[in-house]
Amino acid sequence: MKNKNTATHGFGPKEYLLCAAATLAVFLLCVCLGSVNLPLADTLAAFRDILTGTVPEETTLAYRILQPVRLPRILCASLSGAALSLCGACMQGLLKNPLADGSTLGVSAGASLGAICSIAFGFSVPGLLFSGTMVSAVIAAFISLAIILSFAYRLDASLSTNTIILIGIVYSMLVSAMSNLVITFAGDRVKTITFWNMGSLQGTSYPNAAALAICLLVCGGILLLTAEELNAFSIGEENARSIGVNVRAVRLRVLICVSILIGVCVSIGGSISFVGLITPHLVRPLTGPNHKRLLPASLFGGAIFLLLADLCARTILAPRELPIGVVTSIVGSILFVHIFYTGRKQR
Amino acid sequence: MKKATRLLALLLSLAMTAGLMAGCATPSASKDGEKASNEVENTAVTFTDMTGREITLDAPADRIVALTASDCEILYALGAGDKLVGRGEYCDYPAEVFEVPSVQSGYETNIEQIIELKPDVLVMATMAQTVEQVEQLENAGIKVVVSDAQNIEGVYTAINMLGTLTGKTAEATTIVDSMKKTFDEVSAKADEESAGSIYFEVSPLQYGLWTAGKGTFMDEIANMLGLKNAFADVEGWAEISEEQVIERAPDYILTITMYFGEGPTPEEEILSRKGWENIPAVKNQKILNLQNNELSRPAPRLADAARMLYDLIHGTAAEEDKAA
Repeated sequence: MKNKNTATHGFGPKEYLLCAAATLAVFLLCVCLGSVNLPLADTLAAFRDILTGTVPEETTLAYRILQPVRLPRILCASLSGAALSLCGACMQGLLKNPLADGSTLGVSAGASLGAICSIAFGFSVPGLLFSGTMVSAVIAAFISLAIILSFAYRLDASLSTNTIILIGIVYSMLVSAMSNLVITFAGDRVKTITFWNMGSLQGTSYPNAAALAICLLVCGGILLLTAEELNAFSIGEENARSIGVNVRAVRLRVLICVSILIGVCVSIGGSISFVGLITPHLVRPLTGPNHKRLLPASLFGGAIFLLLADLCARTILAPRELPIGVVTSIVGSILFVHIFYTGRKQR
Repeated sequence: MKKATRLLALLLSLAMTAGLMAGCATPSASKDGEKASNEVENTAVTFTDMTGREITLDAPADRIVALTASDCEILYALGAGDKLVGRGEYCDYPAEVFEVPSVQSGYETNIEQIIELKPDVLVMATMAQTVEQVEQLENAGIKVVVSDAQNIEGVYTAINMLGTLTGKTAEATTIVDSMKKTFDEVSAKADEESAGSIYFEVSPLQYGLWTAGKGTFMDEIANMLGLKNAFADVEGWAEISEEQVIERAPDYILTITMYFGEGPTPEEEILSRKGWENIPAVKNQKILNLQNNELSRPAPRLADAARMLYDLIHGTAAEEDKAA
């Protein structure tokens, strides 16, 4: 993986295996550690039995905590982490912008507004398993991205870094203000949402994890297959067009996938900032800028990052919980400053 | 541009003049009121508010603005609800309180709104008001009274203080006595045996579990009933882990989640949570939902809440007692 000679090639089976093993190791660590200290032997036995589907009649505390509470939560943490950082990596490539991410562009804020509106006004799509919040979060995320980008293109066709980030920040502020407005007018019903808005993976379930997994499989798969086009984009849109990339189609494809992934993540875990921004920067020194390597590495890196962040949120103040957004923001901003500082020095 | 500036200046000066006139009008109006009540009888009242400031009124207050929901409840319980000329926006009990004009409260407290209502007295908590804001109010001729109960003893103090303030001392004594009597009754069984542990749920799982730990009214009432708060090691209100609730396996669950008439009720939602099946409270369906802030406000209804909790624990025994 660190061998620069292979940098032009894609992500080989060996590298996939290595990353998967690392993610699995962190996953196991998160299975064993938690708010409640369970005996390691009990935990591993319970984990083995749950995996093999042979849960005994008489269960220990480990089963009762692991199966319904801890496992779905860490599944959701790893899947949202993977999804969010894949989105970040793709947007950074598509927009040639190292600061692009769901939270800096205002997409997460838009998705939050969608989710809050659906709770406040009781909007739901009948017959759908994850009706209401998830659907409206996805739609709101897509509308947000469309608004931000069309505005950015109109102002500055070259899509310079500053323009997009400025528009994203302004849009974030506007949308957050609108969320607060909805919360103010919707009365008691939405008051509890202020807790949720900070981002929390508490109470996530297996169906949540399944929804994330399906979206990640479909949208993540599409995004991974777009790596070559993203490589062309990261040199420049003109360049991409000249080598025969259908710029509009690729852009639309990426935007739809990103909105779906961010929307689903926000509706399940609230807005968890910095994951999408920071992980691609963390893995880039290892993989180089080639998206064929960057995207899969971000996928695994994001899962590991959010697993560890959630582990901190669960355990540091036990029995209390920290909102996961607090953890990712603190860790993320420190790492970010570090990356930029060392990056500038090298130049 | 110049024109706009001039217009702005004109508007500003107009607004300032209007403000000055309003400022002058307030004291003279209240002076008239004082004169009127002095002629009837001399009923000056003096008391100490809950920050220890001594307050003297020439007569029991006739126009009151109360910012906190608990003080509104106390005033209505005293039979002084008709003296409310303004209420904080979150005051919601009893229903009559909605007929009173609402003002912003807490961090958004708006001095102008309060002055406009021309109260004799403003009752508020020690939340977000600066010394300067209190001075502004006192300069406008409004006495500021702080009511800030931190425990049940504090609620008695608040009731007695508001009773003195409104000239309803007898009513205040009745309410306090009745609360004490209820608390005595419900704590009678506490000494016999430990009633078990209770988990208070302030925010449901969907939004992250929040509980009420040590130093809350819920904790105090639990102890009164001989119950052990499952999260007594947590200070105040806090977000806690679902794993911890399962491990601590409380005997009773009390949730203050609101129900909006759709989907499962808060009790049903807790009963259906995965992994909670083995918690004694869930197994024995010992879950109580108090939706109307009975247990989170320093007001007379704390006694009602204690009674409901008592009924949850002792069930039919309490019904028999009532029948007898």
